[in-house]
Amino acid sequence: MNTALSRANSLFAFSLSVMAALTFGCFITTAFKDRVVPVNIHVSRVILENVEDFTGPRERSDLGFITFDINADLQPIFDWNVKQLFIYLSAEYSTRNNALNQVVLWDKIILRGDNPKLSLKDMKSKYFFFDDGNGLNNQTHFLPYVLHTRSNRNITLTLSWNVVPNAGILPLVTGSGQISIPFPDTYKTTMNY
Amino acid sequence: MFGLLDAIPTQMDYKGQKLAEQIFQGIILFSAVVGFIYGYLIEQFGWTVYIVIGGFTLSCLLTLPPWPMYRRNPLKWLPAQDSSLDEKKQLEKKPKKHK
Repeated sequence: MNTALSRANSLFAFSLSVMAALTFGCFITTAFKDRVVPVNIHVSRVILENVEDFTGPRERSDLGFITFDINADLQPIFDWNVKQLFIYLSAEYSTRNNALNQVVLWDKIILRGDNPKLSLKDMKSKYFFFDDGNGLNNQTHFLPYVLHTRSNRNITLTLSWNVVPNAGILPLVTGSGQISIPFPDTYKTTMNY
Repeated sequence: MFGLLDAIPTQMDYKGQKLAEQIFQGIILFSAVVGFIYGYLIEQFGWTVYIVIGGFTLSCLLTLPPWPMYRRNPLKWLPAQDSSLDEKKQLEKKPKKHK
C-alpha cells in the first residue's frame, strides 16, 4: 500500500472480488425462478410425402411438411440474468421401431431487446421433418392395430427454450401448451385443420 | 524499468495507507450495493457492472495519487548521526570480539 502500484493492485483485486460476489447475487436471485409460460401452437396444414432420403439408406421415407402458428408471450422469462432465448419447436411421436422420436422443426433466437411477444402465422418448418422409415403415415404406423387409429392424434408439437444467462445454469424449459395432431394416412394429400 | 516511476514520490505514511484502503473499500462496496439494487430494479445487469466500474474509477482517482491528506503523519526518524564516528566505534569493537 506504500506505492501507487501496490495500491492499484489491491484496489483491482478488491473490485474483482466484489464483482464476483455481485455476479453470484445475480445468479442466486434468478436461480429458482419458474420460466414456464403458456404457449399456443396451432397447425393449419400438413402434407405428407414419401420420398427417397439421400442421407440414409436408399429407401423411401416419410417426409412431413407442417404449416403452423405460434402465439406466446415470452416477456415473463426475461429478467436481468437472461441474455437470450433459444426457442425451438419439436415434434414427438412413437413408431413401431422407436418408442420416442424427437424432431426439431423450427427454431429462433430471441435476444434481449427483441420483441418477446411471438405472433407467428403460417410458418413453414425450417428443417426437414424426416422419419427414418414410414412412421409418419397414420395408416402405416397403426397397421397392426384396429381402424379407429385413423383419428389417433399421434404427433405432438411442443415449444421449448434454452435460457442463456449472464451467470449460472443454462435451463432447458418446455412451454406449457402442446398440441397433438393426426397425420394423414395417404401421401401427397393436404390435410387442413 | 520503473526508474521514471520511482522518481515520482508516491509514498503514503502508515495512517494515510489505512485511510486510503478504507476509502476505496467504502466507495467500491457502496457502488456495488447501489449498482445491485439499480440493476435489479431495471433488470439490466450491465448497469450493475457500469456502476461498479464507476466506483472503481472514482476510488482510483482518490487513492492512487499520494494526495496531501494521506501524508499528514510522516514518520519521525531518528536524527542523522555522524557516520564517521560510527565506523570508528565499530573498528574499536571488532578486535575485542575475537579475543
